[in-house]
Amino acid sequence: MTSQNPAADHLLPVDPQSGSPLDPRRQPGYYPGFSTLDQRAFWDAATRQTVMDRVEQVPAIRFFDGGEAATMQAICNRILPQDDRDPERRIPVLNYLDNRLYSGMSDGYRYEDMPADGDAFRLGIQAIDEISVHLHAKRFTELEMAQQEEVLETIHDAHPPAGGNIWKRMPVDRFWLLLVQDIAAAYYAHPWSWDEIGFGGPAYPRGYVRLENGKAEPWEKDEQRYEWEPPPGARSGGYRPVGGGRPHHAPPGQSGTH
Amino acid sequence: MASRAAQRRRLLRQALHEETLITQHIREGRFQRSLAVVAALASLMSGGEVAYEHYRGSYGQQIMYTPIILSAGLTATGVAAAFNRLIARRLLPLISLLVLVDGVVGFIFHVRGIARKPGGWRVPVNNMIMGPPVFAPLLFGLSGYLGLIASFLRRENDPAALEPIADRVPDIGLRQGRGLRAALPRLTREGLIFEHHVREGRFQRNIAAVAGISAFFSGCEAAYSHYQNGFQYRWLQSSPLLIAPLLTLTGIGSIWSRRLATTLLPVISALALSDGAMGTFFHARGVLRKPGGLRLPLYNLIYGPPLFAPMLLSASGFLGLLAALLRRPAHT
Amino acid sequence: MREPIFGRFDPPRSSDHLLGPVQRLKTPMRHYRESEEVDVCIVGVGSAGGVLLQRLSRAGLRVVGIESGPFWDVERDWVSDEAGSHKLYWNDLRITAGANPITLGENNSGHGVGGGSVHWAAFAPRFHPSDFHIYELDGVGVDWPFRYDVIRPYYEMLEREMPVAGPARFPWGYPHSYPYGPHPSAGVGDVLIKGCTKLGIPVVAGGPVAILSGSYGDRQHCIYRGFCIQGCKVGAKQSTLYSHVPDAVACGAEIRDRSMAARVNLRPDGLVSGVTYFDAAGNERHQRCKLVVISGYAIETPRLLLNSASPGHEKGLANSSDTVGRYLMVQAGNVILGRFPQLIRLYKGPPAHALTEEFYETDPRRDFARGFAVQTVGPLPIAFAKQMMVAKGAWGWGLRKVMMDYNHWATLGLLGELLPWADNRVTIAEERDGHGLPVAKVTYGLKENDKKLIEFGKRKVMEIMSAAGAEEVVQEARYAHLIGGARMGDDPDTSVVDRFGCSHDIPNLFCCDGSILPTQGSANPGLTIQSLAARTANYIIAQSDRLSQGLRGLPEEPPIRHDLSPPGTYQRGIPRIPWPARQS
Ligand SMILES: Cc1cc2nc3c(=O)[nH]c(=O)nc-3n(C[C@H](O)[C@H](O)[C@H](O)COP(=O)(O)OP(=O)(O)OC[C@H]3O[C@@H](n4cnc5c(N)ncnc54)[C@H](O)[C@@H]3O)c2cc1C
Ligand code: SF4
Repeated sequence: MTSQNPAADHLLPVDPQSGSPLDPRRQPGYYPGFSTLDQRAFWDAATRQTVMDRVEQVPAIRFFDGGEAATMQAICNRILPQDDRDPERRIPVLNYLDNRLYSGMSDGYRYEDMPADGDAFRLGIQAIDEISVHLHAKRFTELEMAQQEEVLETIHDAHPPAGGNIWKRMPVDRFWLLLVQDIAAAYYAHPWSWDEIGFGGPAYPRGYVRLENGKAEPWEKDEQRYEWEPPPGARSGGYRPVGGGRPHHAPPGQSGTH
Repeated sequence: MASRAAQRRRLLRQALHEETLITQHIREGRFQRSLAVVAALASLMSGGEVAYEHYRGSYGQQIMYTPIILSAGLTATGVAAAFNRLIARRLLPLISLLVLVDGVVGFIFHVRGIARKPGGWRVPVNNMIMGPPVFAPLLFGLSGYLGLIASFLRRENDPAALEPIADRVPDIGLRQGRGLRAALPRLTREGLIFEHHVREGRFQRNIAAVAGISAFFSGCEAAYSHYQNGFQYRWLQSSPLLIAPLLTLTGIGSIWSRRLATTLLPVISALALSDGAMGTFFHARGVLRKPGGLRLPLYNLIYGPPLFAPMLLSASGFLGLLAALLRRPAHT
Repeated sequence: MREPIFGRFDPPRSSDHLLGPVQRLKTPMRHYRESEEVDVCIVGVGSAGGVLLQRLSRAGLRVVGIESGPFWDVERDWVSDEAGSHKLYWNDLRITAGANPITLGENNSGHGVGGGSVHWAAFAPRFHPSDFHIYELDGVGVDWPFRYDVIRPYYEMLEREMPVAGPARFPWGYPHSYPYGPHPSAGVGDVLIKGCTKLGIPVVAGGPVAILSGSYGDRQHCIYRGFCIQGCKVGAKQSTLYSHVPDAVACGAEIRDRSMAARVNLRPDGLVSGVTYFDAAGNERHQRCKLVVISGYAIETPRLLLNSASPGHEKGLANSSDTVGRYLMVQAGNVILGRFPQLIRLYKGPPAHALTEEFYETDPRRDFARGFAVQTVGPLPIAFAKQMMVAKGAWGWGLRKVMMDYNHWATLGLLGELLPWADNRVTIAEERDGHGLPVAKVTYGLKENDKKLIEFGKRKVMEIMSAAGAEEVVQEARYAHLIGGARMGDDPDTSVVDRFGCSHDIPNLFCCDGSILPTQGSANPGLTIQSLAARTANYIIAQSDRLSQGLRGLPEEPPIRHDLSPPGTYQRGIPRIPWPARQS
């Protein structure tokens, strides 16, 4: 069943050969059947507690108010789309993000030209709605997927067509990094995402025995690739530098490595 | 042409003569010098392996130096024993015994080392692979065992006939005394009998059993290190896992069956010997193929496939062959 | 197998303070009364503070360490999880500014006993002899008040105490061997080795890294789990929490954890009298002492000095030269990512395990001074996602897609020397922290030489990545290793402390941590920071008579004290191979 219409009526990734949508899966990714949680008896008690709490005790939304939460949810859905996941296997990134802001957990620094993280998010939501109205005369939550991506892309490119007075208080590229980084951090902290990308998860007391040549541990899975492409019309599938290639604040790395 | 053929025949005859001579010497237990040299070589090899294995473990404890020192000692003594009867009779057994004891102590330390790793023996596969190799110290003890046997043997140029056992083993106070006092002379006496058998070349059962046991240990090492590698080369990496247990079975079986010892044992031993040789070749190739190859010689040697490990399987094969040539005690 | 033998791993049953699976704190900690004037008060029990605490207490001095973070029980407090390890970093507010503001937090200092050594990757190379006089050699930066031969015995000592695992011959700088053998290479290391070999660049594998490649007393061999930056629960990776603090406690040192130093107090005669701090319950307290050492990291040390301004010291303590907070440095820490057709699984093995310093020294053929190193790094998923966000501009479906290829990517780190500049500095911001103390503001900007070096270095690493077989290579700009801010020197007009760490202005006030480094070469600073701490400790011990009378210590190099190493240090490891030094 080939779909001729590029502006598809679904949000599912497609098979590049046939162009037909791929059904949502319990576990997207190239490691079917791999489950880090299955290995949890091998984790130390403190780690197991931390990870199981994350999975089982999803925090309630307490920082964002109802409207903000709805917009923020829509933003999360585009920054880290999960349409290819079974609905009961979607990772509640908004809740983790909200919890971080609610409990005032900070990264230990703030750019001089940025407001505090929580305020930055509130301002950002406002600005995103302003851009939506400017471009499509609707609020962000009411837009189609492609339109939402278009709005976000203007921020990614550091070239927002609206929200000028907000961007005066908060550099747009810094807000973009804050937004993507926080949502990504919430998603890739969850064991289901580890299964998706084939990361071994916690590894203490039991460590690894096969260090070289990308070999799988006896309890890991080998890769089984399949081809997929973002849903037709999606704009986030390609890669462009933050700032859209125009000179702007060069974003420094956000994470400690060495 | 003709002279050349004659030459060839003469050479062949000579070789055959040598061969029968060697076989005879072995049958009669007159090969102390050669076995001492073999023990020396074995000790050199296993010492070399321990040196770099312990380097991998960074000599985190001082006791880790003992096998290096002892194996150097055994190598030197083994070579000296080839030239000097007194060293062979007096010093060689002492050093060999020390090597054996060190092997057993090492085994205990390695078991403890695994226990102290995170998760300890509750994740045995992981910790055996990544921790200290459990059986390696026992394999290390093998050269000590060879040295000990060598010290009992007669030298190649000794007279073929041996005074009867009764003359050499005085039946001292066998029935007097109790407990330890009673046990000691008996031990000694049995020791003496064993030594006599060795001197006569009648220790086939013993060597066959040792060949079997050492094959078991090296089979285990191969099993878990090839498992670590995920049996990337399925048949090559499985071969020691098939051959080692066979050698173990025939070696142990040879204790009871002379038939086994003279038929199957040499065949499987030869197989083990050549499998070990092949393994050494492939391990060497593996070392060269590691990233950096010869530009990181030491590093790739210690973290590439272990060069000496297959040689240990070969060594078990060698022992099996030796056993096949030996005799069994006269009274069985 | 779904379970270990005897079922899942349960919480530790013993009530001891556990430092890893076997090591525990054996002795109860001594407690000093606040009214009691102790000999030394150390602010910050981190990389430098931990070593100082151990040395001084072993020499018999009465020492109190004031540490703002917790005294970790690692079995119970730490987790083998990226997000769950957030607490290991300094998460209190700091302001970052300037033309090239640096990200702080998990990118920088530590919090809790062990400090930054808890979450460092533990790369432990030495500085090169040239690093100690780059002004003389290259006309840039500043010279140290001493040369390599002064610090060499301390390098050798600390390499045994940590201990450092590495190759039998480390060919760059002053060639040397390591007391612990190298580690096996994992996916990323193999990539660096392959790329370098292809290009004919010498490379070393398996170290130098302060991670155990063999047991060390009650500390265990590395299990190659790759969570080094999340704090090593195994006890394999050195932190002063594992290597020095247990001996300090055994020797009678006291650590007041969860205690935030607010200011250093002066007596009427201008000498330091003690430290004011907020204890775990938030109560303000004072500890009297004869001598104060500040070891709070390159940001907190200047902050404490500036926050301690008092009559006679309006610009802050030890700041008559207006140098406190200045000459702050980072290293270029760009991460270069390459995608390979085959699987790499970069999360296995310690992130730090191979490097080359072939480009370390100034090369007249290049148009900039000084150089860089190339090292392995191993980001876990969250860090990797953040890297992809910057390096590829990934988001949305693109981010999901590239993350699914996590196991196909390898990552290498540039480590380039950036030079000290007076206007890169720590100052005091308007904002205040939970205790009402003004927070630090960090201003940073790159200069011409820095930019050229980064550009060249990053291209070189990308070249190595391609040579190793990567089909796509991207990079993100990053900075690593913040140091400086209270630099040492012989001239009181241009430096804060003298060559031993004693402030030029006040004879019983010392600084000792990354902040006193005048320059930092292209080597990770941890080993040098800990080595300098051992030296400063030796100095304080050697001059303790004078110092306790409030007199300035004599400018004599203290004797080397092998007897002050933690017990057992010299019974372990491989003898050092005396490689001949290269002519320079
Ligand atoms: C991700 C990452 C990886 C790294 N990898 C490496 C590496 O591989 N090799 C290397 O050499 N270096 C590495 N580093 C750098 C290294 O960790 C630091 O340079 C080093 O730890 C700094 O030591 P320090 O003694 O100056 O400060 P710290 O070790 O940070 O110690 C300062 C301590 O003082 C305490 N403190 C501060 N202010 C106060 C106060 N007012 N009151 C009480 N206590 C206070 C803090 O809580 C902290 O515990 C890495 C850093 C990061 C972030
Ligand atoms: S890789 Fe080794 S040093 Fe790093 S956390 Fe794991 S066990 Fe510790």
